[in-house]
Amino acid sequence: MNPHALMRRCLSAAAALMLSAGALAVTAPAAAQADDDKNTLLIATDQEVDTFNPFKRRFVITYNTSIMTYETLVRMGTDYEPVPGLATEWVESADGLEWTFTIREGAKWSDGEPLTAQDVAYTYNLMIENEDIRTWNIDFAGNLVSAVAPDDTTFVLTLAAPAPAEVLTREVFIVPEHIWSEYPDPSADDANQPPLVGSGPFQVTEYQTDEFVRLAANEGYWDGAPGFDEIVYDYYSEADAAVAALEAGEVDVVSGLNPAQMDALEKQDHVTVNDAQGRRYVSLTLNHGTVTQDGTEFGDGHPALKDPVVRNALHTAIDKQALVDTVLDGSGTPATSLIPSIFAQYHWDGGDQLVQFDIDEANRMLDEAGYERGDDGIRTMPGGGDKLSFRFYHHADNIAYATIVQFVTEWWTELGIEVTPEPIEQGTLNDLAYLGEFDIAFSGWGVGPNPTEQLGMHTCAVLPTLTDGSERSSENSYCNTEYDALHEQQKVESDPDARAELVKRQQELLYTEAPVIWLYYQNTTEAYNHDKIGGMQTQPSEGGMITGQQGYAWAYVSAQPQAAGDDGGAPMWVWIAVGAAVVVVAAAAAWFVLQRRKTADERE
Amino acid sequence: MTEGSPAADGVPIGASSAGRAAMRAPEKRISSGFGRYLAKHVGGAAVSLLLVLFSSFFIFRLIAGDPIDQLTRERPVSPEERAAMRAELGLDQPMWQQFWDYITGTLTGDLGESFQYRRPIFELIVERLPATLLLSGTGMVLAVVLGFWIGTRAGWKQGSRFDKGQVATGLLLYSAPTFWLGMIVILVFARYLGLFPVNGMRSPSTPPDFWSQAVDIGHHLVLPVLTYTAVVYAGYLMIMRSSLLDEIGSDYLTTARAKGLRDDEVRRRHAVPNALLPTVTLVFLALGGVVNGSIVTETVFSWPGLGSLFVQSIFYPDRPVLQALFVLFSASTILAVLCAEILYWFIDPRIRRSG
Repeated sequence: MNPHALMRRCLSAAAALMLSAGALAVTAPAAAQADDDKNTLLIATDQEVDTFNPFKRRFVITYNTSIMTYETLVRMGTDYEPVPGLATEWVESADGLEWTFTIREGAKWSDGEPLTAQDVAYTYNLMIENEDIRTWNIDFAGNLVSAVAPDDTTFVLTLAAPAPAEVLTREVFIVPEHIWSEYPDPSADDANQPPLVGSGPFQVTEYQTDEFVRLAANEGYWDGAPGFDEIVYDYYSEADAAVAALEAGEVDVVSGLNPAQMDALEKQDHVTVNDAQGRRYVSLTLNHGTVTQDGTEFGDGHPALKDPVVRNALHTAIDKQALVDTVLDGSGTPATSLIPSIFAQYHWDGGDQLVQFDIDEANRMLDEAGYERGDDGIRTMPGGGDKLSFRFYHHADNIAYATIVQFVTEWWTELGIEVTPEPIEQGTLNDLAYLGEFDIAFSGWGVGPNPTEQLGMHTCAVLPTLTDGSERSSENSYCNTEYDALHEQQKVESDPDARAELVKRQQELLYTEAPVIWLYYQNTTEAYNHDKIGGMQTQPSEGGMITGQQGYAWAYVSAQPQAAGDDGGAPMWVWIAVGAAVVVVAAAAAWFVLQRRKTADERE
Repeated sequence: MTEGSPAADGVPIGASSAGRAAMRAPEKRISSGFGRYLAKHVGGAAVSLLLVLFSSFFIFRLIAGDPIDQLTRERPVSPEERAAMRAELGLDQPMWQQFWDYITGTLTGDLGESFQYRRPIFELIVERLPATLLLSGTGMVLAVVLGFWIGTRAGWKQGSRFDKGQVATGLLLYSAPTFWLGMIVILVFARYLGLFPVNGMRSPSTPPDFWSQAVDIGHHLVLPVLTYTAVVYAGYLMIMRSSLLDEIGSDYLTTARAKGLRDDEVRRRHAVPNALLPTVTLVFLALGGVVNGSIVTETVFSWPGLGSLFVQSIFYPDRPVLQALFVLFSASTILAVLCAEILYWFIDPRIRRSG
């Protein structure tokens, strides 16, 4: 075997490969366009699919596909108010235990079968009778007694205890009995596989793992067919790549953008950026002493943090507006308590309790409480003893948190407090936090429209029973009987205004006792191609968000394709340049090969 | 010609020419010697595999964090739901039970179920392996061919402008972080020129017939392969170049020239074949690395292969997936090295004599 011949063959193969790649590049977009008679809305995503089973899904992406594929009895409106969904009206009995829903006539499944109250009863009965589905949804399903459909348009749900808010906001996705009763195990993760049959505006028809999720419009949708023919969630594991794709017109909606990405996109003619109020808060958890249900203390938090005066002094020495301006570039709001201002009805604004940034005042509070400064300027516990020296844990992969730490450390140092910031990988940070082995740590949650689940994380009922940090339901070992009483009341209060008062009172307690300091509510930052999409309904209706909608995909159902303008692809001169380059390279290669052959012939 | 610069790969010049001189020696007792040699190396590989199998279980338990936190992120869950999830994922089992299940499962081909995808891991790997093989395989072939070709030319004319220019370019790309280079490639070729897609292996809008799919996949393949090749080809370039430099002063080349062969022929008929020998290990190591070789490239370009699966699994941590991939990645490297060792028996006589 002549190695040189082998080498030359390899080389020609490589050259051929490169040339064909070039040829592919030139021909492919044309091929793609030929089939492009469908109006497709492309949304960038980076989250894998856990399961399409609507009873077991946990991830955001499958939440989004579920609210489009299936429907609920009561829909969440554009301002988070209950509006008719599959049920046209509903009545709560006087004792709050029996709910009667009137099911919409004329609704159909995407396979053409009619949807009746029998399907609704079947779905709720899955939650009552199927052991796995019940456990998986126990906080709601545990309260259900019976679900019956006396006729095709009436559905009656009976509860063990009144829970009006849960009944109206809990998303129980109604599934078709004629399909699901055929499944060997409706609780299995792979029970329902695409193409899915549902009654919503779009159904999942195809899924390629970590490549795309395709949803097709339901042409026979009772509320009118959507504007787009299909919605595709396309995978981008790097946000910057998704931004480049939006700029190049390859994807239509991108969310979760940082300030730099927002700035870059703002300059694009075909892109609209949306910096809207969000549902997420960022907070500092103060270790005020971790305890179990039976009062066993565990963890190693600093004793000074058990004193509300110290916690409030720390709170007073944080300029939340400055954090919003610098860390978020203004894309947020200073926070007060648990429920973000986007939920105007339940948000508590601080009233006359609102803490104002004032380092002198904070110093005065600590002086009065007897935390005296030592020779090195660091305060000690009253009567001498331990220094006020706190470990400050932040997530190592979060740049915003690292910046916050710098600001906060500077302010707290002025109080005569020693702060030791430490970046920690998030898994470890969670482990330490639930073991109580920290002083101050970051936390943050996305809040849903029903405040119960967030408020519930601060009740005595969820305190751990073990000290190993494995039960992670209590946010910070907070336990206050007054708070718990308010919590039980708000859960059963049917009057929205009265409920809101109770919820606000709970937040005020959390705010003034300060087991947690809420820093800011973070905006939702998203952008879309307005040359392709128009008319998207936001939630809330005024200045709200497009991605991250709750209860119903208002934006994608209302989205209308725009008259096709420039698709943002490469301009003509680029194609000409590429064509010319390919020709030149090919000619050079041919000349090279001929030349070689000629000299080789001469040489042999 | 200079009298052979110091060998970059540490093989003394004398030793390698002595080895080649013995190549023509008659081969005796090859079967029994080979049997012993094979047994020794297969045994070694088996021990390594076993160690990997065992350590894989423990290594990924060092990653802190409760997978349930990630699986329920952004939504508080009641203690009962949390317990139900733990039971379903098998996290409530004692450690020794988990270990036993893992060992017996892996040995019988049952790799368990992924926490995040809620699907059998075997299925996930089978689904993603072709994507990885396509990307790193294409990239590896290009890098080896390009590296060897440029390396040969550069080494032959050591110190020339071509040599200096190629070595500088190669090393510059070699030292560029893959992630950064990938972003630059995306900006130039996708963002500004709009020539290539930046994510995944195919577009959702491509018709399902074979040719449309093949063209679309080829179109998506260009940028990741370009990035991957650009970063790794310099390694092959440098090895080939130094390997050739070892040969340059050899007597047999002088003899070849004395026969009246042209410079070009001396290079391709005599120098290159001998210089290729030390690179065999490298090529086999590269083959082993094809399975796990492009983690960063896959992440930048959202390529649906094993590398991006690995990265995604670390965040949970999705331990069953990490364990399975770690075993797979290690096994492919171990087996590739074993193949290289077996091949050496046939191409390098020194081993036969010492073995």
